[in-house]
Amino acid sequence: MPRRTDVARVSRPVFLLTWILAFGAAATSHAAPAADEGWQLLAGYLFRDAHDAFTREGAGPDRLRALGEAASLLNAPPITAGRVAQAEARLRELVAADPADEPALYARYLLARIAHLHRPAEGAEIESAYRAVIAAGPGHPLAQLAAGKLSLLLLYERPDLKVPQRLAAAVALAPVAGGDLLPETACAYYRTLADAAMFYDVLDARVLVWLQRADAIGTRDVVAATGIRIQLAEVARALGRRDEALGYYRQFLATAVPTDNRYRTAAERMAELAQEPR
Amino acid sequence: MNRRRIRNLLVLALLAAAYLFAAGRLLLRRGSGVVDPGIEVIRFAHWQIEPGVREAFNEIAADYMALHPKVRVEQLDIPGRAWKQWLRTGLTGGTAPDLIELASYENPDDMLARYFTPITSYLEEPNPYNADEPDLRNVSWRKTYAAELIPSEFGHYFSLNLLEYYGAPSAMVTVRVFYNRRLVAEALGADRPPQTFGEFVALCAALQHHAQVTGRPIVPLAGSWFNFTKITDGLFSAASQRVALTLDLSHNLEMTKHEGLITYIRGRWSLATPAVRAGLETVEAFGRYMGPGWVQLNREDAMLQFLQGRAAMLVTGTWDAGGLVTQSAFPVGAFKMPTFRRDDPKYGRETLGPESEAGTFAGVPFGLTRGSRHPERALDFLRFLTCRKSNAKFSRISTWLPVIKGVPVPPVSASFRPVEDGYVAGINIRYLGGAEVLMQNMYLLSGNGASADAYITKTRGLYDRAYREELERVAHVSLTTVRQKDSVLAGLYQLERPAGLGRAKFDRMAANQLTVEADRLQNLRTLADYPLK
Repeated sequence: MPRRTDVARVSRPVFLLTWILAFGAAATSHAAPAADEGWQLLAGYLFRDAHDAFTREGAGPDRLRALGEAASLLNAPPITAGRVAQAEARLRELVAADPADEPALYARYLLARIAHLHRPAEGAEIESAYRAVIAAGPGHPLAQLAAGKLSLLLLYERPDLKVPQRLAAAVALAPVAGGDLLPETACAYYRTLADAAMFYDVLDARVLVWLQRADAIGTRDVVAATGIRIQLAEVARALGRRDEALGYYRQFLATAVPTDNRYRTAAERMAELAQEPR
Repeated sequence: MNRRRIRNLLVLALLAAAYLFAAGRLLLRRGSGVVDPGIEVIRFAHWQIEPGVREAFNEIAADYMALHPKVRVEQLDIPGRAWKQWLRTGLTGGTAPDLIELASYENPDDMLARYFTPITSYLEEPNPYNADEPDLRNVSWRKTYAAELIPSEFGHYFSLNLLEYYGAPSAMVTVRVFYNRRLVAEALGADRPPQTFGEFVALCAALQHHAQVTGRPIVPLAGSWFNFTKITDGLFSAASQRVALTLDLSHNLEMTKHEGLITYIRGRWSLATPAVRAGLETVEAFGRYMGPGWVQLNREDAMLQFLQGRAAMLVTGTWDAGGLVTQSAFPVGAFKMPTFRRDDPKYGRETLGPESEAGTFAGVPFGLTRGSRHPERALDFLRFLTCRKSNAKFSRISTWLPVIKGVPVPPVSASFRPVEDGYVAGINIRYLGGAEVLMQNMYLLSGNGASADAYITKTRGLYDRAYREELERVAHVSLTTVRQKDSVLAGLYQLERPAGLGRAKFDRMAANQLTVEADRLQNLRTLADYPLK
């Protein structure tokens, strides 16, 4: 004869299952999940769940929910050209219905991203989509995001431009892309400018200035922060700015994280430079 | 009764029998965690079945249970070959234990997000089990770690995409040459580990000579593809450190894989570059001392060769140390694979010195599952497991390196300690991609007819294609993560906007997306500007 606890062990899962089924049925028929649930799921890479959450609420006139639905549809598996087109259509409807509000601005930004990465379009279309976001709200964080992305397009996806033109076009976006609304993004933008120049073997005073700007804005990413300092040292050295380079080497050595493999190499390079005649 | 009916009855009978068997097992199973509702059962799972590790975990669990009599801690050691299936089944079926060992290659972002709880905020609080340690009691749990859990591309405790900590690690491992001290003493006349690559090759020669003279079937080096790469990774890199600095496009003293591939495709270096050729030539020097047919062997075969005394040395990770020490019938020593001196006439021209191991990351991180029935208790056990006293015990029993500040390295593990005072890495052709090219043509570099020139001639075109494919592959993978972040950022934007976006996760993720996207576009620009000839 089974003991009482054993009976409880068997009956407990049955009870739990019944409860879960009942709760699930009630949830699908009545309760609408809070909008936050969808955004939480989206922020946590749970795209399909987010899409379910946004679509579960019914067809109310909620523009934010429509934005969430489109944003989650972009990456909810299975990702297909049809679903991307569906998301794009939803975003276009949002913009068309009220081109000036906050969901419309985010919709414009996502439309530019879709054109750039999810449904690769021609360069001119992508560029004008990003510029539309910037024009719609130049002092808005989304404009800063769009300007940063546009700078990448100009730096790497405009083979019709010569390298100096690519750099100049990307630098022209600095007032927006390097703005202080999103300091981490601004820091990354200046690092991106410097890295692009060096990728094209351009090593001049501008590179040092961009790195200095990135360093001044700063980042909470400690690895990136120390990386900027060693770049400053090495670029200043390459430009023949000995004393500046020595100062940056010292800064790097003083702030390098314990896991940085470059410590001894940097220390030796600093010592070598210090011994060179002025 | 026709045959069909009999068959149906048989199937039904089988189903009924299976049901009764399962129900019977459930009823008869003794489980105090269920029987006694006052007992909290915490289960933790890992795949470290190497000798010493399970024993160490058991002792720490026993300590914890002595401290908390109403808690039972159960260890689940799952073999690596079954891990992936076990993990997926457990997580999706809701039967996963409270704590699970994490590895980024086993736990993609969506799995972490869905099934694991971020522990970032907990890591910023002190670990109460360090209350008796004056130097640690007021320090955050994260900062009690020797390297303070600095996010790393290779570490498994932090998700670079989710920007959250998910695991608290327990140990650290490095790669060392393990050797039969008795054999080495017999061959050299003294138990004297080599200090340079030249001395290492001389030791191999002495061991081979010793085997010939004594007529014993011993090879100097236990061989398998796995163990071979543990030797060449360091040698290829050390031979080309100065060249790597000239290929450092971003001037940050670090030639990344990204830069190595781009500069190769641009034609700035090749296998014929003297420093790269020198790396290949090291295989000529040591390859002949591995047993015949080693390419076909796996790491278990190599370990057996060593344990049976048929090979004098074995290059492997220190995770194998406990097994090697306890299972061998001879004394085992260990040393770091030596590289070249700068004045080495053959290999030293482009070397800086021993490669730094400062970036060795803390391993064996346990993550807290969302399905845990006792998350607070599981987290408490995780804190206990990673306090100074427990970490010292874990290190002593397992021989694995400790990760908590101030924990002494056990004497047996002294030579496993990472070399922090080293130099940046050079070019490792295997690390850049095309590992199969190296594997399939290795015969040209080892054995009696070894020739780096023959290898270079045969594989040049293969690497040209392999490295381009690798750059394309990386760009493709980046595209997926960059696209995903478009959706993720939309979520973060709505959640964080009210409190301000500057420096928030939205801002940090947008910055990360920008830099990853830039790297991807550099790959594509390179492939377009430098087509395959």
